[in-house]
Amino acid sequence: MRSTLRSTAAVLGAALALAACSSGAPSADSSGDSGGSDNKTIAFVQGVAGDEFYITMQCGIEEKAKELGYTVTTQGPQKFDPTLQKPIVDSVTASKPAALLVAPTDVQAMQAPLEQAAAAGIKVVLVDTTVNDPSFAVSQISSDNIGGGKAAFEAIQEAKPDGGKVLVISTDPGISTVDARVDGFEEATKGDSSFTYLGVQYSHNDPATAANLVSAALQKDPDIVGIFATNLFAAEGSATGVRQAGAKDVTIVGFDAGPNQIKALQDGTVQALVAQQPSTIGMDGVEQADAALTGGSVEKEIQTGFTIITKDNLSGEGGDAAYKSTC
Amino acid sequence: MSTTTTSDRPASGIETKATHDSLADRVRAMQSVWILGVLVVIVAIFGVMQPSTFLTTGNLTNIAQNVSIWAVLAVGMTFVIITAGIDLSVGSVLVVSSVVAAKVMESMGDTGWGTALVGLVLSVVVGVFWGGLNGLLVAKAKVPPLIVTLGTLSVALGSAQILTGGLDIRSAPRVLQDSIGYGRLAGVPAITLIALVIVVIGGVILHRTRFGRYTYAIGSNEVSARRVGINVDRKLVEIYAFSGFLAGVAGILSLAQYGTTTIAGQSLTNLNVIAAVVIGGTSIFGGQGSMFGSMVGLFIPAVLQAGFVIIGVSPYWQTVAVGSILIAAVYVDQHRRAAAVRAG
Repeated sequence: MRSTLRSTAAVLGAALALAACSSGAPSADSSGDSGGSDNKTIAFVQGVAGDEFYITMQCGIEEKAKELGYTVTTQGPQKFDPTLQKPIVDSVTASKPAALLVAPTDVQAMQAPLEQAAAAGIKVVLVDTTVNDPSFAVSQISSDNIGGGKAAFEAIQEAKPDGGKVLVISTDPGISTVDARVDGFEEATKGDSSFTYLGVQYSHNDPATAANLVSAALQKDPDIVGIFATNLFAAEGSATGVRQAGAKDVTIVGFDAGPNQIKALQDGTVQALVAQQPSTIGMDGVEQADAALTGGSVEKEIQTGFTIITKDNLSGEGGDAAYKSTC
Repeated sequence: MSTTTTSDRPASGIETKATHDSLADRVRAMQSVWILGVLVVIVAIFGVMQPSTFLTTGNLTNIAQNVSIWAVLAVGMTFVIITAGIDLSVGSVLVVSSVVAAKVMESMGDTGWGTALVGLVLSVVVGVFWGGLNGLLVAKAKVPPLIVTLGTLSVALGSAQILTGGLDIRSAPRVLQDSIGYGRLAGVPAITLIALVIVVIGGVILHRTRFGRYTYAIGSNEVSARRVGINVDRKLVEIYAFSGFLAGVAGILSLAQYGTTTIAGQSLTNLNVIAAVVIGGTSIFGGQGSMFGSMVGLFIPAVLQAGFVIIGVSPYWQTVAVGSILIAAVYVDQHRRAAAVRAG
């Protein structure tokens, strides 16, 4: 029995040590307990942790929050999955921040949890993605995604003026922003009769799946001239898939501009990137939250623009638009 | 699942285990008791650090609500793991069950209780189908459970995607969402009460019926179980079908909670449920475990996550914490067993 006692002590010790980690962990700030009018905390719930898009947004949020005198805590689920994000939002609601900036992972599933947060008196700002009925939110800030899809088509058009077959590799259906990008792309493709739209395939946010989809699509249609990959993972996977299939003359236009895409652009695997402005989204989000908290005028909806990055502008404007992996 | 309702159970000597001298010895030897201590310590630490936000009824009911669906799955998983099996397909079966139910409910157009009931029945039928298929392949075709359920994980999810074209169905009957997903009875979320009832029934079946004893017998020594005349194949099919049945129930609960079929979600559900069951002292080698332990095991990751979010720890630490607790729990389990063998 003594060894059991000892090992149980070890488990308890481990639990204690882990809980104690909190004090030393980055951005750990146990200031969510006030709830009074001088509450200066902003919580940011990402769509998924560890994605450069959200990290860059976090950088923008932290920069603006510092300027306005707020402290920021950032949380994110392991996957872009509402069943993992909901518990996090619930806990954030319990911690009573003054404002919550959140990128909902599903238009329906996150509706009720976020309504609850708003009902608890937290100013909710939707960043990047949205929900079915966002009326509870003080503001929504996102990229003009339909415009982004059109921009992606224009990039393919420029590289392949003779036209041909084009394919979309998306993430998952039901993500409002991504669906809008695909719609914008499809609409633009149909406006040019020299292009054939092959439809959209879903990679479930997994580069390996995207690679398989693309190499299979190239087996079926070896004459694909352009692929629009709607996000970071889809673009990484598409580039791999094109390489696996041994195809040479395919123009891949990626959405987003993480370090890996920039690298892929430099290597010539991806020919153009449509970069969003996550840092601006984050800054605007904090500004709107601050306006809502201090009684200023709040803009209900803000749309941010895009930067097209190619090899040519990488050293200038394009390079500045690249996403960061740390602040 | 409030721990209070079930916390008197270990004292009644639930774990089927080699004989111990006294009741005190038996209680002390139970993994679930030690692990309950860990849970209490974790709650106490967060409670001291953030009393005004962590120890609120709002937060605690949120935690209970968020583990409810996993709790239903964990009941089936406990049975399966006690037979020395595993069921990786629960998340996918949950999704495909909810997809079939949602599709039919959508076509019925009505959003009342009648429709919801049809959805529940369908969801459960689909769940039992997939669970039964798992069981047949494990028991009759002799394919290892890990492989069978890894296969059905893909097949079931793929079926859900074929049925829907990958598009989530977002038309769950309003009554489901209002009364089950977010409804409350005396302040307790309805979904939690439903899960609690299922857990209690599952616990009674496991610890108080012949079916439960056979489950332990199969996991302890399958050959012996056969020799004493237990129809092991049939029991295995029933146990996997039971796990599928519960995944079907969880499918409806998930529709009620999220209002969508979460086709792209639930990807880590199977691993989270397995981790909870194992943390709770159910041995992956079979023959040992308790329903109470699984529930405690479910709350540890949930409480850690909620606590870490509230005190503002980076999300990466949460994953590290849960993984470490899992390994530590199994380490203690192994030590305890080795000690028991030496003492025996």
